[in-house]
Amino acid sequence: MTCSDVEQALPELLDGEANGAFPTEVESHLQSCAACSGLVSDLETIAGAARTLAASEEPPPRVWARIALELRAEGLIRDQPADAKLAPGRPILLPTAARRRWSSTAWWLAPVAAALVAGGSYVVSHKPATPVAQNQAPVNAAPSSAPSPAGSAPTTPWQCRLPAQASMQPTVTAQTTVEPEPSADDQQFLSAVSTRAPSMRATYENQLKAVNADILETQAYVDRNPRDAEAREHLMEAYQQKALLYQIALDRIQ
Amino acid sequence: MVEFRKASSQPASIKNTAIVTAVLATCLSSALCSAAFAEAAKEFRYTVGAHANISVDTQYGSISVKPGTDNEVVVTATLKSDNVEVDQQQNGNRIEIASHLLRGTDQRNGQVDYELLIPPDATVNLRSSTGPMSAERLQGDLTLEGAEAAVNVRDVENGHVHIRTMRGPITLTDVRNGHVEVASISGDVHLKGVTGPLVQVTSGRGGISYDGDFSSGGEYRFTTHTGDIRVLVPADVSADFKARSVLGRVQHDFPLKPRHSRFPEEVGRSFFGTTGQASSEVVLRSFSGRIRLKQR
Amino acid sequence: MTDPKQAITEAEAIEQAKQGHEAAFEVLYHLHKRRVYSLCLRMVANPAQAEDLAQEAFLQLFRKIGTFRGESAFSTWLHRMTVNVVLMQLRKKGLPVVSLEETLEADDEAPRKEFGTKDLRLTGSVDRLQLQRAIDKLPPGYRTVFVLHDVEGFEHNEIAQMVGCSIGNSKSQLHKARLKLRDFLKFMRAEKAKTG
Repeated sequence: MTCSDVEQALPELLDGEANGAFPTEVESHLQSCAACSGLVSDLETIAGAARTLAASEEPPPRVWARIALELRAEGLIRDQPADAKLAPGRPILLPTAARRRWSSTAWWLAPVAAALVAGGSYVVSHKPATPVAQNQAPVNAAPSSAPSPAGSAPTTPWQCRLPAQASMQPTVTAQTTVEPEPSADDQQFLSAVSTRAPSMRATYENQLKAVNADILETQAYVDRNPRDAEAREHLMEAYQQKALLYQIALDRIQ
Repeated sequence: MVEFRKASSQPASIKNTAIVTAVLATCLSSALCSAAFAEAAKEFRYTVGAHANISVDTQYGSISVKPGTDNEVVVTATLKSDNVEVDQQQNGNRIEIASHLLRGTDQRNGQVDYELLIPPDATVNLRSSTGPMSAERLQGDLTLEGAEAAVNVRDVENGHVHIRTMRGPITLTDVRNGHVEVASISGDVHLKGVTGPLVQVTSGRGGISYDGDFSSGGEYRFTTHTGDIRVLVPADVSADFKARSVLGRVQHDFPLKPRHSRFPEEVGRSFFGTTGQASSEVVLRSFSGRIRLKQR
Repeated sequence: MTDPKQAITEAEAIEQAKQGHEAAFEVLYHLHKRRVYSLCLRMVANPAQAEDLAQEAFLQLFRKIGTFRGESAFSTWLHRMTVNVVLMQLRKKGLPVVSLEETLEADDEAPRKEFGTKDLRLTGSVDRLQLQRAIDKLPPGYRTVFVLHDVEGFEHNEIAQMVGCSIGNSKSQLHKARLKLRDFLKFMRAEKAKTG
């Protein structure tokens, strides 16, 4: 038997089913040929080492977070009552059973969208000395398993967005209504849209400018009229509009 | 070239038929035969039981859904080029159809138009960026989402209807007895003959118009940020009205019976009161849009 | 995220997941996440894609959990589903799932004679990190069969059915993959020896 013959036979011989019991003529060739026996040994070593790679990698925690989000959206997680009576002033986001799947490649948008909604409701619920808004909306649009950008409770991102540290800073004073500078999240959002759906970028950018302008305008009014609970409701809804924009884009980015 | 995708786990009831019409562009030579633009129609049929769940997702293209027979779903997909494929699969009562764009495909080449005939009690989920999307004469739950898609829903009884668009206009006609939830960032929303236990509509910059009677003892909430809200109702409407615009003008031409409210009434910016038996609750809110309640 | 309390068995978790309990889904996820994710990562050699695929595999599994009757092992079911999810993704992207050549090419036939005798064997154990890198460098067609057979332990007849090739093709692809890995590993080892 020649080296070439052995080589031709190896795919069958090494498939693991023979359990190392090679035919006699192959065995005798291997005993006398260092090159071929080295080859066989190497290939068996590689095959053996490969087994150790099974289940060797750990996925990051965000994988479970996204799975849980989707399971909830599809109604497969049913730990809460599925048909609770709708409260007045319920957030405009769709009920979870109807929500489409989050795009997995734009995973970072999900917590931003959730934070926008949660942050908006923080505005409503944490202002002292004002009449309780009859239409106060419960925060139930953000699934509890959605991680926030800071990796902590949903109120934290809102605190990052307080006027002094607002991620949207108008370029001139509050006297004039100006287009705000897009925040880092907005930039990332537009960049993702540009990459995945370039024909839609201009549309999304215009919509983003519009919702940001609405948020700023409403925020300015709320700052001047802190007792106006209705206005604070509208500010929260303006944030929800922005979250809706992210969601619609996010569902489309694939 | 038309390519079929096999569904993942199928009973023998699936039938694929293809009708190909090829329109040849200029062919300089066989080697240079450029962009042979073939529009292809494909049909998929599925057998389903009661309360089937049907999803259609296309980035570019229209989707129209109408009632068919009680246990069959028929999908006709018209593909504008061969740079887009239709992925379809059935798992029991759940059918998922999606347009799959090949790399570098744009809106023109990537368009797939869908027409569906479905059992009237099926749950439907539609998504299209460009649309339009329409659904009519159905009784199951409907969810429609489109960025710029115009959405048109008519004659839906008992089903819950959820719609959201970025700026696509939304028109609902004769939708009754279910929950209606509509959200748009800047699309206009038109409701005619829409009644039910809950009708909640929000548009940021678009306007909301309602022509109906606020019946069924339901809860009706219309909210805009800058868009106008226009409501047209008969003289015998029975509702408890609350309306307020923070910065916009508010008008009504009804003799409302005043009702005690926590909100201070500002003439021209808000009104509160009841008509008839106050059976339904109607809340109209805007940040800076105008609100108008008019008698038919 | 901390590891879940494993106070319930897998069978109990499956039953509770059918009832829609989040904690049960989470237990099942943590029990199998490494196997699923590792398989995806080895097959596509891209962590972001592997995350998406692992997510999709679990979602498909969880959507169907209502139909699981325990007639086969849950892990087997999940394992196969994961492979299908990855293969479907490879097909969608137009990547070759498996090459179509059945026979060895001429230059693969014999071990190269330019290596000295002492270099012929991969002495000692194979460095795991180097092996991972070498697998990532394999052409996708070779990589698929190698990962499914040598890493994940599928038999050739199973691989042939999943990827849609013949058993002979599966065996020859595997052999070629191992030969290529051997070359990569020797090269890496030689490079490492040079830099000391």
